[in-house]
Amino acid sequence: MIKIKGLWWKALGAIIFLYVLIGGMTVPLNSGITYTNPSNAKTGQRIVMEVTGYNTHFKSALQNRAWLKADSSHFIQATSVQQNDEMHVLLHFDLPFTMPSKEKVQPLTLIIDNEIDGAFVQPNALFVTVSDSLQNDLSQWQTLQLGSLNKKSGLTFPYRNILNETIRNTFFHVALWFAMFILLIIGLYHAIQYLRTGIYDHDIQSATINKVAIMYGVFGLITGSIWAKFTWNTFWTTDVKLNMTAVAMLIYLAYLVLRGASTDTDRRAKLSASYSIFAFLALIPLVFVIPRLTDSLHPGNGGNPALGGEDLDNTLRLFFYPSIIALVLLGMWMSQLKIRYERLQEKIFQNQK
Amino acid sequence: MNIIKVKDIFIKELSVEFRQKFALGGIFLFAATVVFIIYKSFNNINPREWTILLWIIMLFAGLNAVVKSFLQEKKETYLYYYTLFDPVDLMIAKLLYNFVFLIFLFCMILGFMTIFSGFPVKLPGLFVSGSVLGILGIAIVFTFVSVISAADNTNATLMSILALPLVLPIVMLLLKISAVSVRLLSDTSVNEDVMLLAGVDSVLLGAMLLLFPSLWRS
Amino acid sequence: MKDYKKKFSKTKNKLFMFKLSQIISFVSLCCMMILINTQAACQGSSIDFLRSTGKIYTVVIVIAVIFIGIVIYLYRLDHKLTKLENQIKNEQ
Repeated sequence: MIKIKGLWWKALGAIIFLYVLIGGMTVPLNSGITYTNPSNAKTGQRIVMEVTGYNTHFKSALQNRAWLKADSSHFIQATSVQQNDEMHVLLHFDLPFTMPSKEKVQPLTLIIDNEIDGAFVQPNALFVTVSDSLQNDLSQWQTLQLGSLNKKSGLTFPYRNILNETIRNTFFHVALWFAMFILLIIGLYHAIQYLRTGIYDHDIQSATINKVAIMYGVFGLITGSIWAKFTWNTFWTTDVKLNMTAVAMLIYLAYLVLRGASTDTDRRAKLSASYSIFAFLALIPLVFVIPRLTDSLHPGNGGNPALGGEDLDNTLRLFFYPSIIALVLLGMWMSQLKIRYERLQEKIFQNQK
Repeated sequence: MNIIKVKDIFIKELSVEFRQKFALGGIFLFAATVVFIIYKSFNNINPREWTILLWIIMLFAGLNAVVKSFLQEKKETYLYYYTLFDPVDLMIAKLLYNFVFLIFLFCMILGFMTIFSGFPVKLPGLFVSGSVLGILGIAIVFTFVSVISAADNTNATLMSILALPLVLPIVMLLLKISAVSVRLLSDTSVNEDVMLLAGVDSVLLGAMLLLFPSLWRS
Repeated sequence: MKDYKKKFSKTKNKLFMFKLSQIISFVSLCCMMILINTQAACQGSSIDFLRSTGKIYTVVIVIAVIFIGIVIYLYRLDHKLTKLENQIKNEQ
């Protein structure tokens, strides 16, 4: 491995982590809608919709506007908007008699816009049942120029419905997994180097870095299950990615058992290096391929935050990637301390002989 | 790689196995007993349980069987082999032997399961291809782990601790494939799963071929 | 003989402290889990603290878990280093 000398990378890791911690916790969330009532209506009805917002400024905004959207060219604007306070607003809608498509029950998306919070949406806010009517008149539907909507100024994280503020966990929980993988790859590199050269120092490095990576994995499982408890209300879900990573952790815990089992250092080094290479190869289909074949609550599937075009917002990226780098650097720092300890012990052991 | 030598070792393994009839019989007895216990406790087994039980019995019976293949021999024998054969030859022969043995065991368990609780497989082609690939994967992992635990001079406990987690991803894929083959799930991407299984097998085989010589030297 | 006994009791004491620290960290982790669970269990009756203000406290707990984990790691490393130092001292 490239010998990184000096203190600078450790300081860098700490500073980047501080940046992630401060930025990740202080950047506000986008405005969003937490609650709407009623959720069902019939065509032709006049409804008053009660909306509770999150991080909204209905009262201080000069002009609140709201629409219900059926598809990209059919909108109904609220006839009047009554704001009680910053968080609550009453919207009056006159639903048209006809709907743009033929289905019996149609979901409408609610869009609210003001100059402070910008525009924000709640998909499937209202389900409209089409009542029997022979009219076929779409004139009540309007079009909406998206350019006329306001944009919120400043940095914000995207608002997602169940996740709310826990979207910030992307920087801690998700980044932990990525850092774990990078550390495992570094450990793998040392394992291969050990098998190639037979220098005992590589074994120390590989084992210690792997151990720190396993520690990250355990943190990942704990933090993940805490997060799941407050978003999906269970500590453990049947989610594929979760279960696959649990299997991965089992495989690496077996690695620890293997290291603990043998006493002869030379043989132990050889066995555990081979095992870790084998285990890493067994892990690749597990974590990267299988979850992609099936549905998952996790990144990329079902509208959850993490990687993948729309899901990882640019502002999230601003903290997510630095967080991975910081966690890797901190992990390397921790493992370097342990490695120095192991080297000292090895030296003392040699002297005794 | 020398095919004749591989064949020689393979035949030697087989003859050793058939000479120790009690060990062979023990494993088959184990399989039969477990199937019978399960049959008695479930009475009628639906297809879901059938596939799960099939693989669980297979896993544990297979583990029992393979543990011996490297542990039964003494250190001196290894030294003798070391002078005689190329490690790759030896490993391929052992792998081949384990594979054949596991297939044989699988057919046995399948036979018992069919006698006691029917044969719910609706897509035999998929079932057979998936099972063969899966058993190959299991054989690779078990052989590799038995090499490790034999090199470590420790008992069979280490082997099962190491082997079970490693074999889990393969078994999970297998369970999915067999669930599709008994029509519990309908999945259009099941061919991808079979391909994935083949991919896993080849990657693990490659890794084992690379790693075995360095392990062998110890 | 007396010296030896003293040393022995000292190392024994250290071992005990080490075990104690392990037990404490484990128990604190368990307590936290139970706390979270009870918080979650009584969500109907009282305000669910961890779910309030957009579940921000979940993020706080996640960060706390990572921090506590790292501190435990450092503590154990510290302990091992102390032992090594003593070993070197004794040899001299």
